[in-house]
Amino acid sequence: MAKQKEKMSPYYESVHRAGRVWTLGALGVLLSVPVAICLRFNAWPEMNDVFKALIKVLPIYWGTAVVEVLTYTPMLGAGGTYLAFVTGNITNLKMPCALNALENAKVRASSEEGEVVSTISIGVSAIVTTLIIAIGVLAFSPFLGKLTDPDSVFAPAFTYILPALFGALGAGYLKKHWRLAVFPVLVGVVVLFFSPTLAVGTLIFVTLVASIGGAFAMMKLKWI
Amino acid sequence: MDFKESPFMYGLAAFVIGFVVIESVFFIVKAWKRGRQLGLTKETLKNTVVSSAVFSVAPALSILTTVIVLASALGIVLPWIRLSVIGNLAYETVASESMLEVMGSSLSTPITEPKQFGAVAWVMTLGTTFALILVPIFCKGIHKKVGHVVSKNEKTSKMADVLSAAAFIGIIAAFIARAIYGKTPDGVGDAGFMSIATLVTAVVVSFLLELLCEKRDLKKLQPFAMPLAMFIAMGTAVVLNLVLPDKVTAFTWWNQM
Repeated sequence: MAKQKEKMSPYYESVHRAGRVWTLGALGVLLSVPVAICLRFNAWPEMNDVFKALIKVLPIYWGTAVVEVLTYTPMLGAGGTYLAFVTGNITNLKMPCALNALENAKVRASSEEGEVVSTISIGVSAIVTTLIIAIGVLAFSPFLGKLTDPDSVFAPAFTYILPALFGALGAGYLKKHWRLAVFPVLVGVVVLFFSPTLAVGTLIFVTLVASIGGAFAMMKLKWI
Repeated sequence: MDFKESPFMYGLAAFVIGFVVIESVFFIVKAWKRGRQLGLTKETLKNTVVSSAVFSVAPALSILTTVIVLASALGIVLPWIRLSVIGNLAYETVASESMLEVMGSSLSTPITEPKQFGAVAWVMTLGTTFALILVPIFCKGIHKKVGHVVSKNEKTSKMADVLSAAAFIGIIAAFIARAIYGKTPDGVGDAGFMSIATLVTAVVVSFLLELLCEKRDLKKLQPFAMPLAMFIAMGTAVVLNLVLPDKVTAFTWWNQM
């Protein structure tokens, strides 16, 4: 028992302790929002209606939550995981932001240095996002509505933000590990060919398995 | 005054957002101290802060867009709260639309009944709470397993490096594949000429910037190379949409003009 405890450094232990407390706190804060709204406006909804709506979204989003926890936790580090799951927007912001920071700092995600860099990156990203949304909401909302309107000149910039983001992020990996990159991209395209609207959470799981499986096979065949 | 944008709602937003900011500061300070103990230089840590801040600007604007889109039906405060904590672009829209559908309404009509408003708040919240239950239970165990595998593999550190890179590539590959042949449920941003042109621009500009940094030894440009490539690719999407005929820019695999 004592031996098992030694496996994790005191820093990791304290991050997990703090992370659990903060996450449970966040759960309380999150649930307090609908409770406070219903109490304040004396407007408790029909639970039957809420259930009808939830039945449509829960299987997708709770399933995605399981996949996301399994996929992102090993990559974001302990502190990064606790922070990212509370602050949200993991796929389109926190995860690529942490990957970029790890790449810049030239540290491995599974090292303690990687843990530190990933946590700082996700924390800064959360604060900057919160600030931008707050400033936007308070000051620029009429202007931004026009900017992102489908008829606006700037609309394509926001419509194609994900190809821009992952193209820029993927370039470094493509350059260094092009052999590893070809197979999972190909698998992703083939899967989309048969199921073009497949949710990105599920697609990530498929390409991740293809990428790691492909890497194992290439190492066995001594291609890399 | 519209109850959806009352001082009470703004107070609620301040409470939730305050929590997120304090939690973020707590973890940043903790990680910074540990980083210094591990020997990471102040410059490395500062670069992490600056590049992460710059990196977050464009996606944050995109999230702000969702807040504004949802604001027409839900008021600005509830989407603001939801997208500052745990929420994400796709989920909030789908969850609120599902609830409003059940109540015979839709996101294109402003909510006037507090009961509808409360119902939407519940569906948005309950759909996303599951991850917050899973993380405290499984995060430590997953890390222990990963640490164990990595320490075993340190004897063959090449394998650990390759698998770590393969894991990142696996995630990025999903988005690259979607830009090449993906379809969105609402048809906005389907794969086709524009998505592929934006993707290719981002990759090429990244290569060029990296080459420039290497050749000219521009270490200070390095942290900005990735966000810069992203902004240039976004700008290219705007320019292409302006200068090319609609026939070309509207081309998608499902809408061949």
